[in-house]
Amino acid sequence: MKLEDILNKYFGYSAFRPGQREVIEKVLDGKDVIALLPTGMGKSLCYQLPGYIFDKPVLIVSPLLSLMQDQVDQMKQFKEKRVVALNSFLNPMQKRASIQNLHDYRFIFISPEMLLQEQVQQKLNSMELSLIVVDEAHCISQWGFDFRPDYLRIGQVLGKPNRPPIMALSATATQKVLGDIEAYLNMDSPYKFIHSVDRPNIHLGKMLFQGREEKIEWILDHVTKTAGPGIIYTQSRLKTESLSQRLLQSGVTTAAYHGGMDPLDRQFIQQQFIDGSLDWIVATNAFGMGVHKQNVRQVIHESLPSNMANYMQEIGRAGRDGEDSLAILLYAEGDEELAKFVGIDDYPVDAHVDSYISYRSRNELPTSMIHNGEISETAFRVLDYWMNQLQPADVKQRLSSMKYEKMRAVEEVMDLIETNTCMREQLVHYFGQTLENRPEDCCQCCGLQYENIIRVREIIDAPSKELNWKRRIEQLLIGFS
Amino acid sequence: MLFQFQQILLQIFHKFNQERTISAPFHLLRGKRSGQTVQDVGIYQLHSYFGILPKLSRKKYDEELSIFVNEQFILIKEDGYYELTEKAFEHLKKSQELVFDGWHYRGNEHVFFARLSLVVQSLSHHLAGKMSFIPYQKDEQIQQWVRMFLKTNHYQDGQLQQKLLKEILNSLEHIAMEDRAKNILIYRLSGYNAAGFTWQQISFEENLKEMDLQLIYIASLHSWLNAIFLQVEEFPLLLQMVENIRVKNPLSGSAFQTAELFFNGHSMEQISRKRGLKMSTIEDHMVELAMNDPQFDVEQFVSNEDVQAVLAAVDDYNTRKLKVLHEVVPQLSYFQLRLVLARGERVEA
Repeated sequence: MKLEDILNKYFGYSAFRPGQREVIEKVLDGKDVIALLPTGMGKSLCYQLPGYIFDKPVLIVSPLLSLMQDQVDQMKQFKEKRVVALNSFLNPMQKRASIQNLHDYRFIFISPEMLLQEQVQQKLNSMELSLIVVDEAHCISQWGFDFRPDYLRIGQVLGKPNRPPIMALSATATQKVLGDIEAYLNMDSPYKFIHSVDRPNIHLGKMLFQGREEKIEWILDHVTKTAGPGIIYTQSRLKTESLSQRLLQSGVTTAAYHGGMDPLDRQFIQQQFIDGSLDWIVATNAFGMGVHKQNVRQVIHESLPSNMANYMQEIGRAGRDGEDSLAILLYAEGDEELAKFVGIDDYPVDAHVDSYISYRSRNELPTSMIHNGEISETAFRVLDYWMNQLQPADVKQRLSSMKYEKMRAVEEVMDLIETNTCMREQLVHYFGQTLENRPEDCCQCCGLQYENIIRVREIIDAPSKELNWKRRIEQLLIGFS
Repeated sequence: MLFQFQQILLQIFHKFNQERTISAPFHLLRGKRSGQTVQDVGIYQLHSYFGILPKLSRKKYDEELSIFVNEQFILIKEDGYYELTEKAFEHLKKSQELVFDGWHYRGNEHVFFARLSLVVQSLSHHLAGKMSFIPYQKDEQIQQWVRMFLKTNHYQDGQLQQKLLKEILNSLEHIAMEDRAKNILIYRLSGYNAAGFTWQQISFEENLKEMDLQLIYIASLHSWLNAIFLQVEEFPLLLQMVENIRVKNPLSGSAFQTAELFFNGHSMEQISRKRGLKMSTIEDHMVELAMNDPQFDVEQFVSNEDVQAVLAAVDDYNTRKLKVLHEVVPQLSYFQLRLVLARGERVEA
């Protein structure tokens, strides 16, 4: 069967998107591949399609539990039954059963933590795989914005002789990170497909303010006058709640979204946003993964993102349908200090190193630091990894240089604020690429009229929607009210 | 004006009669399965509140507590005990409280609602001709249960929607519960192109604090469940959904084993030896048994006369403190006293 036929049969598409065919062909030839594809460009198809050609399981290492769950849900919705997710959500019984039958699945999603477990490795060693996929591969690089120490061990675990090809996927990686991916995964002169990071239909705005309250006033004014759907990114959970509350009071259908919310509520919000019953989301950076909404028209950054990669990823949620969209970066004096603080807030410091040592010397498990509230789980992961690799003094050295790196990353975002030359060019350069063309209304510096890009908000006289439980349950079960 | 949560807390502090520390209500709300907490449920008649907030954090609890202190409802003493103020008693007189049945549901009400949610989501999609969708309920067990439910009840016929609707309307309509509470329940359900409302959204519509909303939600679920159990023949579909939701045997596992041996004629000493457990543990189990099992006869351990003496002392001295009661009825051991208290004013099982 030709690749196109398989594409049509299993996925219902008639043509490949840029890069997909090349990547798939290389993998079928047994070559290692690094593919850099922007989110929404069909990354997952690159390993799902080969899964229907190979007769052995595809192993997908994925760092984000929510994303993993989302992909499994999607595949199950398309009637793929031979898919499993091995992660900490499973209870011991489910876990044992899944591992026992691992060879029967077509697609095996696994978290890096799970991959390192003895019983999992034993099982994997006893079976054959057709392809190893490392999703969000930038997590392997300590220069990446989302460094996961466990990722460094993937190469050691899976890099056996006679291993199947490895496919490393990412949406955002600089040259340096690409180098790290290749090295740490022990890849064998991989084929690289690097898609341009530029998204010409996303127009890049920025607004500068004296104070924070001014910024909020502007958002309230802008959002009540222009059309969504849109996402407002901000730093703290508290801010998502207060800002969404103010928008609600101004009559805009809005919801807050952050990682601390009821998981069911988070799903409701995603679905309402996709359905179109919700116009705006005020979110922390927890929002976006696995949200497949095509027609997001605006992304507003109320606070500075902590690095360029985050910025890129977040504005990339606009205009998946290819239509013109607007990304506006807001800045008030002192915002960079706040962003730096947030960036390094969840990061181990020297005192943690000392504490780690004293736990060890008392013969206590350093993990107790988490339970004793001394350190967050993410920070502990980083600390624990380095404490097992280096001498304490070197760990401190390492931590301080990484901390410095994180602060520098904020400065790089600040360059976007401060620049008078093309923002788009700067963004593309950051990822080691060159900008080919500039669209009309390119960015704030090249000249950008917001009204050319987005529409005026139509105020629909919404019928009074006082809650009425009888009407609601009738609507759900028999379809009219 | 106090919020619901604070009213409940005040109510619990009141029932503890200032004889426990400020941590006791916290463990009670979270449904801690320790001997002390479980026995206190019996001694202070706190069945309704047991385990209604299994996820309550200590931080949140302490925050609410410090509001109480600032508002001068409560004085916290150095040893961790407390005293309620005049202001608190004033409030208790006029407070209107939510009715819970924590002892019988212990968080299982959420299993019931998860089943119902997925059934409604499935039927709504089926009605719209959508045969596949992404379920909001991720729990495999719930999913399997719902699959079975739909098959057993022949959802393909297309009649199930109507039947379920009728049961939901009939069961809810006759419960003496504000419409507001019914709204909270039903708007948490989802269907085709109609995702459920978030807590924030309901709180905005109903102008209630989110914490209060969730408490009303739990109380309403308990009332709904009790209503279903009262008229099982009226609600054949809902009856399936409440399968294994109500705790039939509220004994903890270990206490259950002790009970089995006891009813098979073993003495407490024999059980202690056989199970290799301390006598005091076996006594704990017996107290739990006295609390929960209406068939259990306290008089095999304490004479009726002594029971009356203890109950009189509780009234006279307005206390359930063992130390005090032991002084008043010195002929009884602490174990005997605990049995009487556990049995005292047992709620209907």
